[in-house]
Amino acid sequence: MVTNLPDDIDIAGTKTRMEVAFGSGDGDEDMTAIVAKKESNLGAIFEQSYKPWDGELGPRWMRNYSIFRHHVYGLFTSKGHRHYHPFVRLTILVILLASLTPIPMLFLSSLLPGQDGDFLSKMWGINRFNLWGQILGYFPRNLCMWPLLTALVVGGMISDDRRNGTSAIYFSRPINRFDYTAMKFISVAVILGFVIIFSYFAYYTSAIVFRGEGWAFLIDTLPLFLGGMLSGIFLVLTYTSIGLALSSISQSRFFAAIGFLSIIYGTKIVALLIDMQFDTSILYILSPYDCLAHIGQFLLGIELNYEHPLAFSIISLIIMNIVSMSILVSRISSMEVTRE
Amino acid sequence: MLEDSNNNWVIETKNLSKMYGPHLALDGLNLQIPRGAVGVLGPNGAGKSTLFKCILGLIQITSGSGKVLGFDIQKEGEKIRSKIGYMPEYDALDPGLSAIDQVRYAGEILGMNTDVATQRAHEVLEYVGLKDQRYRKIDTFSTGMKQATKLACALIHDPEILICDEPTNGLDKRARKFMLDTLRRTAEEGERTVLLSSHVMDDVQEVCSSILMIYKGKVVLQKKIDELVNQVEKEIEITIWGGASIMETQLIDNGYKVRRLGRILRVTLMDDNTIIGILKIAAECKVQVRQLKEYQPDLEDIFLLIMDKLGEEIKGTSDLMTPKHIGGN
Repeated sequence: MVTNLPDDIDIAGTKTRMEVAFGSGDGDEDMTAIVAKKESNLGAIFEQSYKPWDGELGPRWMRNYSIFRHHVYGLFTSKGHRHYHPFVRLTILVILLASLTPIPMLFLSSLLPGQDGDFLSKMWGINRFNLWGQILGYFPRNLCMWPLLTALVVGGMISDDRRNGTSAIYFSRPINRFDYTAMKFISVAVILGFVIIFSYFAYYTSAIVFRGEGWAFLIDTLPLFLGGMLSGIFLVLTYTSIGLALSSISQSRFFAAIGFLSIIYGTKIVALLIDMQFDTSILYILSPYDCLAHIGQFLLGIELNYEHPLAFSIISLIIMNIVSMSILVSRISSMEVTRE
Repeated sequence: MLEDSNNNWVIETKNLSKMYGPHLALDGLNLQIPRGAVGVLGPNGAGKSTLFKCILGLIQITSGSGKVLGFDIQKEGEKIRSKIGYMPEYDALDPGLSAIDQVRYAGEILGMNTDVATQRAHEVLEYVGLKDQRYRKIDTFSTGMKQATKLACALIHDPEILICDEPTNGLDKRARKFMLDTLRRTAEEGERTVLLSSHVMDDVQEVCSSILMIYKGKVVLQKKIDELVNQVEKEIEITIWGGASIMETQLIDNGYKVRRLGRILRVTLMDDNTIIGILKIAAECKVQVRQLKEYQPDLEDIFLLIMDKLGEEIKGTSDLMTPKHIGGN
């Protein structure tokens, strides 16, 4: 406990410290000469003058938008924005292009006459299963693409601020922790959404354009499309919250990325092994992917291939998101300004 | 307390207390800080960082009240932070960015538009001496250049108050001088308030005209440095060669109060004849007086005197420093 201290300490009449100067002798030794060496004066190379600034600072949305822009624009050009490693940018581009592969097949189907065209249209055309598969298919999308994409994007999103101390740049300015968290979340969600939802949208619209479909087709398939889009939004939100939570508890990009992949693949493999061994699908409620796939099957009207009730997957997914967001909020609340 | 002719305090607190659980970090702090450069001193754990967090409106205080530039620290934190530039102690820079981009981004997240922030980033980087290095990536920067970049980030919006936490950490002599000159110029030419927290008393003395000393969450001293220096007993410092022990004995025998460390003797200045008396004794003892000067107590002396009075066993402010202060890891 603090002792009672005087408000203004009196040091009148006290003595200062003594320190050794000009060597360490005791003062009684023989005299020797000391030659002082004067430091050369290099002079000033520029005229320093303080320049005041009397502009006005913009409102809250400008501050928040700058955070968003910094993180998202960095994917397109690292100059002036958050630096993404060229390999990361290249991988994201490859994932985007890979997610668009049905489009050339649809284009081909529109060019080929007769049965060949119909076959290609059946394989890659719009139907419940293809719409579900475009977002929630396990191979290759949820095995090779979306988890890897998320891991690469969330890796340094918050952990870099912890490692570099750049959280101080944000929190010593008029940015509150809610805005910081929200903008980081939106940045990741927009990047994931750009690849996942945009490719889904492009797939659907190109099927209509290339096959010359009319209003009837649109009315028939639009609910399916919207169901798939909703599944995609759930996937983006879930992956973002889990990924950011992992990024917020570490100073390492690698930890967040590998942690995310471990959660996605690990839970899936464990549930698969249990399913194969004991013939029960209940452990799939621990796998974020399977919960999303289960909900997606319901939204698109596909026969459910999980034995456990849909409600279990919905509740599990909600809990996963709540836990992830709680970790994220709690870790961001603990980020320091004066010392990290 | 410091005086301000118009009672125009930039920072004012009344019985400001902050507890972290059972630990009392700030204990009824009463502060009135005027414009100008003020050194914030105190040993590690004294409450300096907590005070800065309160000033920045970042933490909820336990009791009391405070105002920064007229804004309430409990309710108007965002307004306060838009008027304050904070230069943290540790690296707070993105190594993947160039200096110009880092400083521009620091402006953008304050609400400046990109064009204005870019123009201003050029100005402040020139001001802190990084005009030629502004396009280099920060991970190629030396410690001094990183410190200058942090200062530029803090200055981009021309803040009313600049808070610098250990700004000379790890700097060499020349970089340190430049940093201190820049801070002094900001306070004098820019007419900004600079709060400088440092364990290097020479730095504080070089930039600041007054100090605020915090100890165990309380303000123990808030005065102008000149006034403090005048309180300390005046001494004459003589550097002698040969016969220091004899001279010391002679001085004591003649009624002088003497302190000795090796070849340095400090004799209490009693009256106008003290210096002549010392020289006469030196002649009698046949010792060489290599240097004789009135000893000017510096801030280091004052800090140690106060720490001594408070019962802290600090032999020098170097005891308070970490390897980072002296450029280590």
